[in-house]
Amino acid sequence: MSQPKIAVDLILKKLTETTEDAKDRVRKASEVMLGPLETDLSTTPYEVVYQEDRVSLKYYSPREVRQKTPLLVIYALINRETMLDLQPGRSVVQNFLDEGIEVYMVDWGYPTRKDQFTTIDDHVNVYINDIVDVIRDRHQVPKVNIMGICMGGAFSVMFSALHPEKVKNLITTVTPTNFDTDKGLLHIWMKSTDASLMGKCYGNMPGDVMNLGFLLLNPARLILDKYVGFFENMHNKGFVENFIRMEKWIFDSPDVPAATFRQFIDDCYKKNLLIQSKLELGGRRVDLKNITMPLLNFYGQYDHLVPPDACDQLTKMVGSTDTEDICLKTGHIGIYVSSRCQKEFAPKIVKWLREREGDGNGDGVPKKKAGASDGPSAGKTGKKKGRSVPKTKQNPKTGKSASSANKGMKADAPASPATQA
Amino acid sequence: MENDQKEKDTGMESLFAEWTKSATDLWGNMARMQTGVFWPFAPSDTGKGSGQKTQKAWESSGKIVEALAKMFTDPENLDSFWQSYQGGIDSLPEFFMKMTRQSWDGYMDLQTRWAERAAKMGQTTKAYNFDDIDQETFTLFREIYEKEIQKFLNVPQLGLNRFYQERMAKAVDKHNIYQAALGEFLYMFYIPIEKTSGVMQEKVGELIENGEISDNFKDYYNMWIKILEGHYMTLLQSPEYTRVMNNTINALVNYRKARDEVLYDILQKLPIPTNKDMDELYKDFYLLKKKVRELSAKLEKLTE
Repeated sequence: MSQPKIAVDLILKKLTETTEDAKDRVRKASEVMLGPLETDLSTTPYEVVYQEDRVSLKYYSPREVRQKTPLLVIYALINRETMLDLQPGRSVVQNFLDEGIEVYMVDWGYPTRKDQFTTIDDHVNVYINDIVDVIRDRHQVPKVNIMGICMGGAFSVMFSALHPEKVKNLITTVTPTNFDTDKGLLHIWMKSTDASLMGKCYGNMPGDVMNLGFLLLNPARLILDKYVGFFENMHNKGFVENFIRMEKWIFDSPDVPAATFRQFIDDCYKKNLLIQSKLELGGRRVDLKNITMPLLNFYGQYDHLVPPDACDQLTKMVGSTDTEDICLKTGHIGIYVSSRCQKEFAPKIVKWLREREGDGNGDGVPKKKAGASDGPSAGKTGKKKGRSVPKTKQNPKTGKSASSANKGMKADAPASPATQA
Repeated sequence: MENDQKEKDTGMESLFAEWTKSATDLWGNMARMQTGVFWPFAPSDTGKGSGQKTQKAWESSGKIVEALAKMFTDPENLDSFWQSYQGGIDSLPEFFMKMTRQSWDGYMDLQTRWAERAAKMGQTTKAYNFDDIDQETFTLFREIYEKEIQKFLNVPQLGLNRFYQERMAKAVDKHNIYQAALGEFLYMFYIPIEKTSGVMQEKVGELIENGEISDNFKDYYNMWIKILEGHYMTLLQSPEYTRVMNNTINALVNYRKARDEVLYDILQKLPIPTNKDMDELYKDFYLLKKKVRELSAKLEKLTE
């Protein structure tokens, strides 16, 4: 008797096991989903020290200040800066604080129709400029360190080229500056479609539409497989908490002011003006040769949104002689949230900044204890437009407060599924 | 023969005259009733009430129609009319046939082409290849829409409400175009799933043939999702996809603009500011703020 080609008995046995297993998983999953879950984002305490229109400035105070020059983090207008403080154990902000760096972070808020005329010039030469002045004034320093992320990195580059006298060190992370590449679907689509029309018809470019666009970059994984993975792991509380946190972050996407969006598409994606030092903001040319301060440039080898080609030209085009490119083996978001990069990314920045602090050891400032709410020169914000604001802010999409209370979440959950983003 | 024709004509004349008379009488009676029933406070018997006026208007317009009908159905006038069609009243169906044949032929031609191309939709295309997608179905739909339907929505409107009607027709038109574009986009998005099923059938067939069938269903899912991802990657990078996506975006934008115009028409009757009103205000506000900022900076420099 010949051997059967298909072992039907084995398949049926496996099917029975799988059914049993699924039943057990569903029972456990219902307990997890119906029970209490820790899914808050941005739990590191901060204080809002300055506000102008919809834009506010968050101040994170370390327990012990070990660096004189504070660090300003400028996030993109797409998604929110909470990604840098996703959860304890995966918080770039917390890593900086642990190293004694005072961190300021721009919260761009949620643009409404009122903001549709706001241009890149307004973001760079008004909001960022005012914020930098506030920090300089609070710390009595002539220059600040700036770290830009993605589109925020492009804004940081523009600001540093236009106001080099205010920037001590510049760190760009996953920052697109060269848009003349066909790597990455975003670059292909932006060049051949008139996406800026959307901004025109909606008032601003809706965050939900942009999110849909990001999902369409890899529909098989981001619309299907991701949720199959979720259903398979729904019985794992840590996995579920991480997953929900990432879902909250991904879909919390503010609209982008129409004028800014249009200008970014036209001047950067289509005309590639920034890297050629031909971009003009407020009547002034953004000349990259003016970037004479030290520059550290991070990008991700597997970044499909801002591919290496879009990032690695910058250091060659600036006027600075102190530049460094670092390509991490990760994607666009992985740089900030993956466990592996947590060990490489923030420590490298801290070391790099220390080496350039100016006093040789970087510990040249008197060590002081700083409370969570009393930053340097508190109440001395100086600028005419600045005003005090409440400590917590509400997310208009979720209606929940971005609480500053630390809930002490577990950090040993499985890797977040959204690192693929 | 001539007499027969005249008899027919006479019959038609009396029929038409009868109808005109009864129609005038009916509306005349209605107008008379209005004085007593619908508007009891209207002055009666004075000859100056609204009912009387309406009745008189009906009677006079009825008389005009009656006179026109009489003129039209006059045997001599009719003779000259029918002579132009040689065959007399019997040739009327042919006359209508001639009128409709041309447009019917055109419609049938389009329908045949549409049916032929729609039949092609089910034909399979090569895996990992999106260059030869049959987009003709959608092209043909657009052709039919543009040739047969759209022109009705673009008929120039008349009268006081012409602009409102025009905007409404435009919104309907843009909505149809958007639906067509969206249909094409969704169809294109479905193609990788269809192709993946084809590839999976082949692969599973090979596995069965080689006796390598797995007892773990996850293996098949992993295989399927990987193939699907590959198909999507190929599709999303194709110029065809970019073109369809661009069309859809443009159609959406045009539809929303047209729809908003209609909404503005409705909202302007209500005490609600429209987005258009607010956008103008926001722009003024934005420019004013900018001006104030510039002046403040100048003032600061002067006072330094």
